[in-house]
Amino acid sequence: MRRREFWMLIGPSVLVMFGLLVVPLIRTVQWSFQQVSYGTPGTFVGLSNYTQALTDPRFGRAVFFTVFLTLVVTAIMLVVGYLVAIGVNNLTRLRPYILGAMLVAYVLPGVVGAVSFSWLFDQNFGGVLNLLIERLTGQSFLWFTDTWPNRVMVVAHTVWHLLPFAVLMILAGVQGVPNELREAARIDGANSWKMHVYVIIPTMRGIIGFVCLITIMDVLRTFDSLIPLSPQADAIGNESIMFYVFDTAFRDGSQQLGLGSAVNVLSIILILICLFPFIRDLLKEAKAKA
Amino acid sequence: MIPNTATAPTAKASSVVSPPRKRRRPTGKRTSAVLLILLALVMLAPFVWTGLSVTKPTNVAFANPPVVSGYTPTLEAFRNLWETTYFARYLGNTAIVALISTVVALLIGIPAAYALSRFPGWVSAVLLLLALIFRSLPRFSVVLPMYEISRSLGIYDTNFALAAALVAINQPFTIWLLRNFFADIPKELDEAAMIDGCTRVSLLWRIMIPLMRPGILTAGVFVFLFAFQEYLTALVLTDTTSKTVPVFITTQLGQTLPMLQQAGAAAMLLTLPVIGIAFVAQKYLVAGLSDGSVKG
Repeated sequence: MRRREFWMLIGPSVLVMFGLLVVPLIRTVQWSFQQVSYGTPGTFVGLSNYTQALTDPRFGRAVFFTVFLTLVVTAIMLVVGYLVAIGVNNLTRLRPYILGAMLVAYVLPGVVGAVSFSWLFDQNFGGVLNLLIERLTGQSFLWFTDTWPNRVMVVAHTVWHLLPFAVLMILAGVQGVPNELREAARIDGANSWKMHVYVIIPTMRGIIGFVCLITIMDVLRTFDSLIPLSPQADAIGNESIMFYVFDTAFRDGSQQLGLGSAVNVLSIILILICLFPFIRDLLKEAKAKA
Repeated sequence: MIPNTATAPTAKASSVVSPPRKRRRPTGKRTSAVLLILLALVMLAPFVWTGLSVTKPTNVAFANPPVVSGYTPTLEAFRNLWETTYFARYLGNTAIVALISTVVALLIGIPAAYALSRFPGWVSAVLLLLALIFRSLPRFSVVLPMYEISRSLGIYDTNFALAAALVAINQPFTIWLLRNFFADIPKELDEAAMIDGCTRVSLLWRIMIPLMRPGILTAGVFVFLFAFQEYLTALVLTDTTSKTVPVFITTQLGQTLPMLQQAGAAAMLLTLPVIGIAFVAQKYLVAGLSDGSVKG
């Protein structure tokens, strides 16, 4: 392919991404060094937005909650996702139905899923799950106004929402493990535990790593679901980083655009650090080809 | 298979030789099947429960403890939704924005992905890398500036602005997915067609696009579903005229019970087409997950 053809074919896409992603991103970086609100030119204030963010206890709580949520959800997703994928892989007739149910949960619009989930727990709206838990444990929980019950509910929702992705991916990975490999291991006397630990999991390390990465990215960006699930997120310390940005930089009356932008830049740095291994691999691959 | 066709004596013999294993295996399988069925029900529960709540009469819809029988199912909430709110307009906005942004994303994404899969060297590598980074950016870092830009251009709260934003936001994903599909088509095919006198454009149009149909459908389904349910971008870039259904649903929360039930009805109407698409395009969705995004 000639260079001219390359740029002609890729031009429109690159222009759109430049105009609507790169330009806004540059704006965010600029804003992060300014005291600014919408529609007015800002004044340069150096790093003060960054120091303000890093010393704001509310931001600290948001970071703690987001990291907590990410770690817990990723751990549960990998373990449960793997077990479910193995289970589904052993099914024959039931398989399409189980996968169909998974698919429904996976494509359910985020807001719809979160609203429905919140209704299951809300005693004001006849939440059936709340009632069951009350009957079983003899205790009543304040799912929306008490910090830890709310965290449990948010974790449950996030796992529920993302699990199908992990299951479908890991299932594809399990099916990709060559049969010869399993046979060989079986002949060498591997029991099923050893088979999983020494044969299947190492073979699909790439896929597990990918599921991990995507889950971490998705959970770090948690925002939509907290609107119905944690209406008092700030008051009970269950605010995500993105929620904090929204609240400081957009919601009525709060126009601390500089502060919100600084937090955006900080989270971009965090995300780039998480992405680093993938970036390195891609660059290596490109170098090998060139 | 073999135990089924075996004659009675051999079957007996084998059950004597290794009884525990034979008995344990099926029970283990059965427990795991039961657990998986339970899990499937749990996965569906929130959706089903909402479906029940919106087809109850309003006075018992959110009663505590929940009313599960002895009422006549009704579609009153849906009629209410249709008559007392601008739901029809919001649904129209959501559909138009999703449709337009999908078509445009594919129109500019297909040639770009093709070029990236055929042009070796560092330019492609860097562009793909940038796409990966942009795909994982926090939304607000591009959407808040878009809010200001759209206000200053006078296109704030229009379907156009929202569709344009979604094309850009989904473009990195689109070109990654499509590029991986294109990479599976051998380059020799291009060379053969070019020798026969095909230009690049007609090669792309006449040979690649028909071959790429599964890939294009996969990308199209994903981008459509992303756009159809997008909340954050629509929340920031729309106000009243081009509000979408997800935003409408959240504005109904925390209000009166009839409004809450309308939100539930709206959620059902937003979800049913999505589930329909998911079932029709099941194959492509799974292909997109396992084929498109893992490799490369």
